Amino acid sequence: MTPHSPGTDQIDTLLWIGFVASAIVVLAINGALVYALRKSRAARGGEPRPLDGGRRIQFRVAGALTLFAAAIFVVSVIFTEKASETPASGAAGLASAEGEPLTIQATGQQWLWRYDYPNDAFSYYKLVVPVDTTVELELLSTDVVHTWDVRELSGKRDAVPGKVNRIVFRADEEGTYEGQSATLSGQSYASMQTAVEVVSPQAYEDFVEQQKADIESAQDRVVGLLEKGETP
Amino acid sequence: MSATPRPELVVDGLPGKRRPRWIELATSADHKDLARILVCGALGFLFIALVELLLMRLQLAIPENTFLSPVAFNRMLSLYGGTAIFLFALPLALGLFYYVAPLQIGARGTALPRLGQIGVALWAAGATILYAGLLYTPSEAGINPLAPLSELTFLSSNGVDAWAAATGLCTLGFVFLAIDLLTTLRNLRAPGMAWRRVPVFAWAATVSSWLILVIGPVLLAALTMLMIDRNYDGVFFAESGAPLLWQHLSWIFFSGAYMLILIFALGAVAEIVASLSGRPLLNRGTVMGSMVAIAVLGTLAWMQNMLTAPIGLGWTYFAMLMSLALIVPFGLILFNLIATMAGGLLRMRAPLLFAAGAVSAISIGLAAELSHSMVAVGWQLKNTTDATAATHFALVGGAVFGGFAALYYWFPKMTGRTMGENLARISFWTIALGLLLAFGPLFLAGGFEGQVIDAYKFYGDAGVSAYNLVASIGSVILAAGIAMTLVNAIQSRGNGPVAGHDPWHGETLEWLTLSPPDPHNFDVLPDVRSAHPMRDIRAAIANHTQRREAPAGERQPVA
Repeated sequence: MTPHSPGTDQIDTLLWIGFVASAIVVLAINGALVYALRKSRAARGGEPRPLDGGRRIQFRVAGALTLFAAAIFVVSVIFTEKASETPASGAAGLASAEGEPLTIQATGQQWLWRYDYPNDAFSYYKLVVPVDTTVELELLSTDVVHTWDVRELSGKRDAVPGKVNRIVFRADEEGTYEGQSATLSGQSYASMQTAVEVVSPQAYEDFVEQQKADIESAQDRVVGLLEKGETP
Repeated sequence: MSATPRPELVVDGLPGKRRPRWIELATSADHKDLARILVCGALGFLFIALVELLLMRLQLAIPENTFLSPVAFNRMLSLYGGTAIFLFALPLALGLFYYVAPLQIGARGTALPRLGQIGVALWAAGATILYAGLLYTPSEAGINPLAPLSELTFLSSNGVDAWAAATGLCTLGFVFLAIDLLTTLRNLRAPGMAWRRVPVFAWAATVSSWLILVIGPVLLAALTMLMIDRNYDGVFFAESGAPLLWQHLSWIFFSGAYMLILIFALGAVAEIVASLSGRPLLNRGTVMGSMVAIAVLGTLAWMQNMLTAPIGLGWTYFAMLMSLALIVPFGLILFNLIATMAGGLLRMRAPLLFAAGAVSAISIGLAAELSHSMVAVGWQLKNTTDATAATHFALVGGAVFGGFAALYYWFPKMTGRTMGENLARISFWTIALGLLLAFGPLFLAGGFEGQVIDAYKFYGDAGVSAYNLVASIGSVILAAGIAMTLVNAIQSRGNGPVAGHDPWHGETLEWLTLSPPDPHNFDVLPDVRSAHPMRDIRAAIANHTQRREAPAGERQPVA
């Protein structure tokens, strides 16, 4: 995964810290296990050694483990706090969004994502956002639990019916980022995908205007047909 | 004296001919018979769970496979979860506890045998209902049927109802068994066996039973609410209610059950290590205390499964704190187990081999869980196959490696015969290879490519095709290895080498009695003076023989 947002930068670093910590644990335990098995084979023929019960050793081991756990806890909190900060929009970002994040609603429904833009335009499947601009996604669901997951831009979050969950990111590069829903939501769960298209601020403005115009003309057409008594 | 019959010898009631064996077994309230039903049933369901896993892995062997339809895949997934947890892992652990713990504490039976009998009957009823679902429509809601997907609006067939009824009956049965075990362990210990002298495995049974008493009713409450929602217009978990409530309640149960399986495995490994290394477990007190800590902390960490849900960041830190605190008790137990091995004279027999495998697999699973519990990392790795792999390493380590270690170790006590050693070795290495191949690649697919869990297909351009193919091949190897031990058990039941009452030179009282024990378990019981009464008995016998055999002049002073 290549991070493309300040939050995922932090997550990526913490991911590697976690990986190293896990690797140390696995190597330490399995190394000790293999050492113990080999050593006792070498000692075959002798008597079992009397046990050095060592209350002090227990305390030392417990102390070392506590320090290890505490260190991971502190590091994790620091990085998690940084990852959940709301970054400010950059200079290349959308001018109208200066100071305020651009708020877009992302609604999960079986088995599609719908995005509602501030100017009442909406799109399905594909989310278009301006580059270098802080975007806040309000995650909603109309039916079951869905999880919005575009790894390059953000950690995943659940969309739970009746609740609002938030995702904040600031894409640093134009391009298309693929994502997939990550909670079992029924039959077509595996194909419930989404894509985030990061474009220049101008292209974003054009897109939402065009989208709005298209939607309105389509609506007018349908209303016109209905008024004439035809089925659209 | 004349030949008048002795009045205390009652012969009238003895049955002239015994009823068929299966009726004897099915109507028995003896803890050994009930435990045999549980253990045999659990091993049978392990086989079925493997078949389900293989079908799912076959579907996921190549991208966009059409072997299973999405609905069939989701049904397999739901059956697999219910089977692996409620019909295999938990009953195997409880069954072995129920067989061994009363023997270890020198009890002549359990305190509330009828309750145990009802417990096993409820479990069997639950198993029947889960698989009766196959006759119409099994649940499609997944391993943990998250509301609102499990609500009537979204899954209107009876499958979810069958799933809920089945797991509910099983859980109720487990609660009854736990009550019986706790009462037995509390009241029926041999004279002199204080809590500090209780064998580690019997202590693990105590901790696990308390755990079931806490988490079982929580799941029963959640299932009841789900049933009310589905059948009586309830809105507990609907959008107008609290969909997250289901997640809280169910994850409390599943986190606790996860810990129970690990406590069971570590308890069995501790007994095996002590017996087969010829010396007592290092720092029993620490190990026993750590088990309690694991039960408490592990259950309190339930929100670790909800890091991506709309809950406050503070709650996720609480969950992370509880999970990371688990490092200390797990670390202490593993340290003492390995330290006990290090200085002992290990007899590398099958139980010890599987015990070492359990420690290794559990360590890999828990190390991966460690990084998942770091909140921001969890945001990336939760609900990817990385999490599937972590859970499977820990639980296959606990329930399959740990469970098989316990099976190989106590099989001689249960049947009077030892399981085949060569097949055990082949089986062990096959399972080890299979586990690494089946779930190792899923770590990479989830960690690097973000492959999501529970999906019935993946796309060729997602970069996970090779990982999945290897995982599918690995699961075939894993299944073959597990099948070898199952065959070994079936074969050895009638044909294995006769074991005698104490094949491993064990430390605890179950090795004092016959193999298999009489219905009343013990004819006589020693006065327990330490945590390893069999060691004391052997020392006393050696001492006694030595004194008898030594010439009068050189008699040793009695200590």
